[in-house]
Amino acid sequence: MKKSFLMSVAVAALFAGAASAADLKFAPGQDSKFNWKSYDEFKAAHADLKGEPLTIFGPWRGEDEAFFLSVLAYFTEATGVDAKYSSSENYEQQIVIDTQAGSPPNIAVLPQPGLLADLAGKGFLTPLGDENSKWIKDNYGAGDSWVGYGTYKGKDGKESFYAFPYKADVKSLVWYVPENFEEAGYKIPTTMEELHALTDQIVKDGGVPWCIGLGSGGATGWPATDWVEDIMLRTQPPEAYDKWTTNDLKFTDPAVVAAIDEFGKFAKNEKYVNGGVAAVASTDFRDSPKGLFTVPPKCYLHHQASFIPSFFPEGTKLGQDADFFYMPTYASHPELGKPVLGAGTLVSITKDLKTARAFIDFLKTPIAHEVWMAQSSFLTPYKGVSTEAYANPQMKKEGEILTSATTFRFDGSDLMPGKIGAGAFWTGMVDFVGGKSAQDAAAEIQSAWDGIK
Amino acid sequence: MTAAGSYFKIGPARLFVHLAVLLIVIVWLIPTLGIFVSALRDKDQIVVSGWWTSFVGSTQTVAVRLGTPDQQKQEGAIYVISGNVLEGQGGRAVKAFGNRVQQPAAFKAGETADLGDGETLQINSDGSYRYMKGTAFSPDERPRRIYVSVSAPPEFTVQNYHTVLTGEGIGQSFINSLTVTIPATIIPILIAAFAAYALSWMEFPGRALLIALVVGLIVVPLQMSLIPLLRLYNEIGTMLGQPSKTYPGIWLAHTAFGMPLAIFLLRAYIAGLPREIIESARVDGASDFEIFTRIVLPLSFPALASFAIFQFLWVWNDLLVAMVFLGTDKDHLVLTGSLNALLGSRGGNWEILTASAFVTIVVPLLVFFGLQRYLVRGLLAGSVKGG
Repeated sequence: MKKSFLMSVAVAALFAGAASAADLKFAPGQDSKFNWKSYDEFKAAHADLKGEPLTIFGPWRGEDEAFFLSVLAYFTEATGVDAKYSSSENYEQQIVIDTQAGSPPNIAVLPQPGLLADLAGKGFLTPLGDENSKWIKDNYGAGDSWVGYGTYKGKDGKESFYAFPYKADVKSLVWYVPENFEEAGYKIPTTMEELHALTDQIVKDGGVPWCIGLGSGGATGWPATDWVEDIMLRTQPPEAYDKWTTNDLKFTDPAVVAAIDEFGKFAKNEKYVNGGVAAVASTDFRDSPKGLFTVPPKCYLHHQASFIPSFFPEGTKLGQDADFFYMPTYASHPELGKPVLGAGTLVSITKDLKTARAFIDFLKTPIAHEVWMAQSSFLTPYKGVSTEAYANPQMKKEGEILTSATTFRFDGSDLMPGKIGAGAFWTGMVDFVGGKSAQDAAAEIQSAWDGIK
Repeated sequence: MTAAGSYFKIGPARLFVHLAVLLIVIVWLIPTLGIFVSALRDKDQIVVSGWWTSFVGSTQTVAVRLGTPDQQKQEGAIYVISGNVLEGQGGRAVKAFGNRVQQPAAFKAGETADLGDGETLQINSDGSYRYMKGTAFSPDERPRRIYVSVSAPPEFTVQNYHTVLTGEGIGQSFINSLTVTIPATIIPILIAAFAAYALSWMEFPGRALLIALVVGLIVVPLQMSLIPLLRLYNEIGTMLGQPSKTYPGIWLAHTAFGMPLAIFLLRAYIAGLPREIIESARVDGASDFEIFTRIVLPLSFPALASFAIFQFLWVWNDLLVAMVFLGTDKDHLVLTGSLNALLGSRGGNWEILTASAFVTIVVPLLVFFGLQRYLVRGLLAGSVKGG
């Protein structure tokens, strides 16, 4: 942490100075794992923007901000645009305030398609045009799904493509410590049935299988929504999942209730979770993976998205000290293939400018992805990037899960209206873990959804 | 004097009051102490144990990796990897070790453990180890993980403060915060003092109604007025060809948000000034402006000072108004904003939160202690009021 922090300070300090070739993280043209050709072509095509302004507002802060700035440096170097990035703790509220008050940034980056759809519906977003949606369709893994997550109804009721996906997270992962498995003689489960068996085996051996923590301040409960979504995708066809995110399939539907109950099999079993069921809702999601690394281990398995290694103890080497496996599918549902649950950030234009268009074009160059990939915490479904650029083999593995996905589905709670996906669903899951039955919790969420009109 | 003697001198009632005050002070100080101690602890320690456990030494069981196979040396018939598991960690001692995570303390320090496959391991209490095998270690083996119980003395670090104080743009945002706070404290006091005088000592029709209106405005939540106010600024800004998010904008916003309470507080004080003084000044031919500047302002200095403290603390600690009216870009980010940015996209860094709490508290404390004597003087002035 300390080292990476100092590094991010250094990166930011470099960026604060005059932009020159020396500020770029990887010197153009040198390392062959990057697509420098794409960078040169972009540079040649956008030489007429020198000194023009561009403001970007996004969710990345701290370390992530430093990574993004290192990518942005290539854009400013190539075009000479005076680009400024800023963020805020409550970026969701901030962007709503700024667009409504009439002082939006040029580019807004948001991880919630639901919120973007809302902004598009009020006429605050500028359509990106068909050539961009076609490009995504052709160049991204599960491109159609991605286009769908960036297409919303505008103020006039017409559907257009508004948000360009850039940077993704894979959610369907289970983290473990390889040596804990080896020393206890456990094997990586390949089906959900095996995962259940492994869970029981660990209990029989006197261990605790799972670390589950739902705590996240005002967002407490969201890790549980990922569980339910993962199980939904593994027990129901993707169409049912899509209907679920638009309320065409009710929360009270037996399929959804069964998925919540399936999560309950793990989270509501006193012997399965570290600290007991009472600890599930009160443990912070950032602290809960630390149980994997204690000696003796407080747990053996942890279900979380690809970003979680940032919260592993300092010095943890991925692949050696910690690893992940794909959250397995049910042997009883072979027809569903290998669905992947993910999330991502979407780039949209909130105030149109030539420079904003140029930035969207920049995101289509492999280099805009590779520079971040080569540092940390960045996955992309873009098939045109050189996967050699991934900073470590684990990220490469995660990236391949994304590009080879047969079914990719966006985090359902981010697609639902804010009151549900960032409200009733979260609190409903906390109530469920706190003792409510799946039926009652689902009914409560559904009644909240029915209340929005 | 004996303890009994002092007891009789103080008396049981007063003793009770003193004890109650002492108790309240302690209860209030415990969280502060907790934050202070946490800020001095390592981030990994904060997560695993409470701050109250940090004063005594502890025994931790940790996983360490032995040397890589390319460090092996041949000694006669056996191959040895040697080194120290406590490298660079002075003051610690190994108590026990083990090779299976399920039994991490199976062997005592100094024992030679048989790990199977012809491998043996000896770890001494100073951390030095010898990992031996009859045949050569295969070069593609990953470094062996073993577990050691280590007794560690209490440990504290100033790293968290270093992180916070050297964070990018902290100096700039400190200046930004002062640029926002000082005018946003002075302007409302100036206006409110005039208004308070007028509302208490100048007769005009509808005065009571106006006071009621001002007091009523206190209950309007500022979150409700953010968007309309910002939109108004944006429109005026476009008209004048100015950018919308500027320092004068946020000064005006803070002035507006602070005004109802300021007028209410100052009016209550100024209305309580002795009528005789003001009337005799009037009789002597002083104008309202002269009465205000020569008599009312000096007399109400304590009230002005106490309101200045309120307003200063509120503006200094504010994040929301600054984010909305000043924006989030680096040149305008206030201290609360840039400390918040240090937390990263997902937050949860207790060590940074606790350390930055103490960094931000410095200026308010200086202001409080700097103005405190005026508060005391104000209390004294109140005691002879109307005499």
